[in-house]
Amino acid sequence: MLFGMKVASIRLSPAFLLLSASLCVAAQADDAVSYQREVAPILTKRCYACHGPDQAESSLALDSFANATAETDSGEPAILPGDADGSELIRRIASDEEWERMPPEGEPLTADEIAILRKWIDSGAKYEKHWAFEPLQDVEPPAVEDAAWARNDIDRFVLAKLEAKGLAPAPEADRRTLARRLYYDLIGLPPTPAEVEAFVRDDRPDAYERLVDALLASPHHGEKWARHWLDVVRYGETNSFERDGAKPNAWKYRDYVIQSLNDDKPYDQFIREQLAGDELESPTKDSIIATGYYRLGIWDDEPADKLQAKYDEIDNLVSTTSQGFLGLTVGCARCHDHKIDPIPQTDYYGMVALFADVKPYGVRGDEETNSQWDLSPPDLKQRRDGLLGQRRAMLEETETLEQQAIARMSGRDQRRTETSKREQVLKEKLAEHQTEAERSRYLDLQNQIADLNRQLDALPAADLALALASCEPHPETTHVMLRGNPHVPGDEVTPRFPEIFEEAEPTIGHAPDHARSAGRRRVLADWIASPENRLTGRVIANRVWQHHFGRGIVRSANNFGQLGTPPTHPELLDWLAGWLVEHEWRLKPLHRLIVTSSAYRMSSAPNAAAAAIDPANDLFWRFDLRRLTAEEVRDSALAVSGELKLLVGGPSVYPKLSDEVLHTQSVPGLGWDTTPTAAEAAKRRSVYIHIKRSLIPPELANFDFPETDNSCEARFNTVQAAQALSLMHGGFLQEQAQALATRAVAEGPADRQGRVKYALRLVLQREPDAEMVSDSLQLIDRYQTGHGLSADAAFDQFCLMAMNLSEFVYLD
Amino acid sequence: MQRNFCGRTRREFLWQTGGGFGAAALAGMLGADGFFPKTASASSSPVPAIAPKAKSVIFLFMYGGPSHIDTFDYKPGMVGMDNKTIAVDTFGRGGKKNEGRIVEPRWKFKQYGECGKWVSDLFPHVGGCVDDIAFLHSMTAESPIHGSAMLMMNSGKLLSGSPAMGSWVHYGLGTGNKDLPAFVVMLDPSGGPISGAKNWSSGYMPAEHQGCVFRHEGAPILDLARPEGVSREMQRDTLDTLAKINGRHLTAHGGDDTLAARIASYELAFKMQMSAPEAVELAQESQATLDAYGVGQKPTHHFGTQCLLARRLVERDVRFIQVYSGGAHNDANWDAHGDLVKNHTKHAAETDQPIAALLKDLKQRGLLDETLVVWGGEFGRQPTAEYAEGTGRDHNAYGFTMWMAGGGIKGGVSVGTTDEIGSRAVDRPLTVKEMHATVLTQLGLDPNHLSYFYNGLDQKLVGVEGAEPIREVIA
Repeated sequence: MLFGMKVASIRLSPAFLLLSASLCVAAQADDAVSYQREVAPILTKRCYACHGPDQAESSLALDSFANATAETDSGEPAILPGDADGSELIRRIASDEEWERMPPEGEPLTADEIAILRKWIDSGAKYEKHWAFEPLQDVEPPAVEDAAWARNDIDRFVLAKLEAKGLAPAPEADRRTLARRLYYDLIGLPPTPAEVEAFVRDDRPDAYERLVDALLASPHHGEKWARHWLDVVRYGETNSFERDGAKPNAWKYRDYVIQSLNDDKPYDQFIREQLAGDELESPTKDSIIATGYYRLGIWDDEPADKLQAKYDEIDNLVSTTSQGFLGLTVGCARCHDHKIDPIPQTDYYGMVALFADVKPYGVRGDEETNSQWDLSPPDLKQRRDGLLGQRRAMLEETETLEQQAIARMSGRDQRRTETSKREQVLKEKLAEHQTEAERSRYLDLQNQIADLNRQLDALPAADLALALASCEPHPETTHVMLRGNPHVPGDEVTPRFPEIFEEAEPTIGHAPDHARSAGRRRVLADWIASPENRLTGRVIANRVWQHHFGRGIVRSANNFGQLGTPPTHPELLDWLAGWLVEHEWRLKPLHRLIVTSSAYRMSSAPNAAAAAIDPANDLFWRFDLRRLTAEEVRDSALAVSGELKLLVGGPSVYPKLSDEVLHTQSVPGLGWDTTPTAAEAAKRRSVYIHIKRSLIPPELANFDFPETDNSCEARFNTVQAAQALSLMHGGFLQEQAQALATRAVAEGPADRQGRVKYALRLVLQREPDAEMVSDSLQLIDRYQTGHGLSADAAFDQFCLMAMNLSEFVYLD
Repeated sequence: MQRNFCGRTRREFLWQTGGGFGAAALAGMLGADGFFPKTASASSSPVPAIAPKAKSVIFLFMYGGPSHIDTFDYKPGMVGMDNKTIAVDTFGRGGKKNEGRIVEPRWKFKQYGECGKWVSDLFPHVGGCVDDIAFLHSMTAESPIHGSAMLMMNSGKLLSGSPAMGSWVHYGLGTGNKDLPAFVVMLDPSGGPISGAKNWSSGYMPAEHQGCVFRHEGAPILDLARPEGVSREMQRDTLDTLAKINGRHLTAHGGDDTLAARIASYELAFKMQMSAPEAVELAQESQATLDAYGVGQKPTHHFGTQCLLARRLVERDVRFIQVYSGGAHNDANWDAHGDLVKNHTKHAAETDQPIAALLKDLKQRGLLDETLVVWGGEFGRQPTAEYAEGTGRDHNAYGFTMWMAGGGIKGGVSVGTTDEIGSRAVDRPLTVKEMHATVLTQLGLDPNHLSYFYNGLDQKLVGVEGAEPIREVIA
């Protein structure tokens, strides 16, 4: 999940962790204990489950000063401010007696944790409101000693913290490294050797900024950054469950995201379009397509409990929306008040009420009415809707007539009508089981339907989009559901925003009689997109930062609550959020600001002394090395082999899947275009691959493509043998290695050494060093002399080796 | 669970640093090379809270839903009731009904073993093992529809997106072997179950916890086979050069752990090319063993081979092995909507002998004590007919039978009952979550504490409300 977190922390060997723990304590000796960063995480994670806002066992709750210092069942308060030694809390957590030691479950608190709580109590046990629930702070960049290092204000925030710990930022990376970093971070593709060369030789003072601007203007920028957003909105193009059926036109939403990012659409508009694109003053084709947001989740077409399924669908919206836009896990309050964060159950159902006009994705047999919006011109649409309505009624009547007759057939035939043999059975046996009147009506219907089909075929094709095609303008009253059970409604709830925002309850009038929707989502969208919203700006600024530095300032990018990870640079985060709002919520200037900072240009070179002080690189003393994402690995292979087709947008593509993979399906190949033409057409960027939830291509899955059914804040970053097998033996890489070999032969010098260098240059975007070239030449020799390979085959194998180099899949 | 490794539990930390598939091997190699202290190996996961009885699980998944009253839930009172229409509440894919036409059990029952358990003629071989089996006759499921019921049985949730039980076990215990997956899935030759890979997905956990599909024909694991024309010696040469160049890259990066793990992962991949095919190489088995499992005979060959492989994987410390009987759709699995006799005869004939052979083989090798075998489908079937004619039964989640054997489970016992026609659980209704809790408990994992922090909650296989193991079956 936590991509950034993983990248940063994966490098921590346990030895380092021990070291850092002891150093932390030493460093804190002179500092005051921070409630937010040090105390609150201990209380929330270790105490609140039994002594928190939700539960107060033995009449003790540690969630506020008043509660923590109040008398408990034992007659004593848990905390005596200013007196740790006299506080029952300290006695109980430090006790050696297992029967009285708190917490009763799990490991005891560590000596360091106990020391933190002691110091906090001794200094008065002051509580502070959780940082993320406070309004944005108006912060000034701090003063720094090495003012020359700071290219912009970001650098002042970063450097001030480094200087406070006696750390110096890593030197600037070389130009070749910076070029590669910028290409991957801004467009997700490797530069060509010529592009690197051009940048290295560009001696204009603003060469770097020019490259940044060019990349931000590239149509491929949207392709790269859209994928980050698609992770957040749990983008999938099928419904999961038994049939895992396709969601037609989902790709138009994906293209909408790509286009919005390429156009640098203000983020507040981007929010409004997705949440309420159908309720804007003047909806556009784009804003309608944007409401596909609501239709991307999983959907059970055959639910055992329809009401439960309906609430599960809304739950997915509440969870995705609150995490994605607000960094809040409101979904946790579905069954009871949130145990840790101040999110009561009424907040959850208040959000449910805001989504009350969203109808289910569909019903089995009709996935169009609620989810496919015809964007054709109005007159055409009216015409088609009329014909479709007539046809639907006739098809229903036909079906009823058929079922009446089927009920009179033998059991065996009844069973056959549920299989692919249905048409055949109907053809052979329907007539004999129908009355004369039934028969004549049936035939009449068939003729009329045929006629309607002819009329429909004569019309231009519908311009359908996956969207909120039909809404409930006057939804029923929403209730709190006791223990989250939709069959046990409790008190009524009106549409409202979570309490922690301290906002007045929104006034939402009754929608006019002929309204198509309830107008509630627009209110929600406007509130989330408001510059005053405490979390929206922070959350998106953090995501932008996250995908440049490999981790967010808040590592838990979907959870800014008390169970999330505290920000490493809270002032910087608030400053960035404020800056973004001031710059009309446009993301491209923010990207530019970040990547032109000195902080971003640091080298990733190791530094043992710095690592000893800050092993997780919390302070950004260097740039973190990262593995390429699943998409970047695949796209890079296609790019260096010369096979990549750089078309932007359009329906999704179907890369070749092996028979083994297809045979995990109950019907191998169902829902996947397995033709060679499709495989050829799929040599495009991975963002265009059809996302079938039960059939994720191994090239993506092995490299930590996210779970598709819920919002993903940050991807895992694993190292697995399956990755090695996929890159060494997988059909895709085999093919790309061969294409690379063919390309090097066609484009490179005629001699072997020249070809080797040419191929390595394509793969690594740099001049290969002599050792690498000589190792490669020796390998090719052994292939030929020791293993009997032809010169061509040996070169193919060498190219495969080259595409397995760590340098190819890691970015400095 | 304590979380101090950058907000994650120690286990999460280990998994993400390469602690998944082959983690012990990776960590071992790194340790040997001085990259990781030995403490980072997966085997140093916190000691389980409960003394473990089982080391491995074999889940024999009867996909489609076998009929309990035609197999292990003896209903003598139904004899003579055939075709009678009675009032009974049922809920299947055909919706809710309140009356139906009885389809009498189509097989005779006999008593077996010292416990005198009644078992139908569909499972005479398994009948011979009843003294080692604990029957759960009062299972209930939350859904009578394949899609959601399969997800429930495999992941404890009706919705997709959560980790499978095998993923939880891998996460909780780590891998027990050096060069094989920890969670293996074997499919029916007719195809995967509906929802395919969703059934063995690791959901919100990292992908190395997901089930690895294992085949007994061709290369057992995806992309394991070297491409044509690449010999092992030649690949060794490639890997040596690769390691040399990647090693220099590693040194330039100060011995970065992920880069070191990456180099080690290539060695592991190389080793697996020997170990995985060795695991599926049946030439080492005696003819008597092959015969016992029905390998090489119709109709038991496929399932028998998979049961035998399951034993071989248990011997190689694979944690969780799921074997599917039935795949694809309609009568290719236990989903007997049409002709009950034809359907169940086919699937029982494919599985009865292999299952009994597996239980006996494990026992004879002293492995049954530490191997928990679970048998069952996603639900059972109704006592009444689905159609006006014929013997087809619709789904039944109100009551059905599963069974467990080995791994510290009592033999020769039966828990719970359904009513006199098997329409619903009446005495001691059991939930899927309780079954899951029992499996975890036998492995030494506390089901109510094995958690993974995700979406702001400590998620559990048994759900946030928790579930207790079925104590009556625990020895």
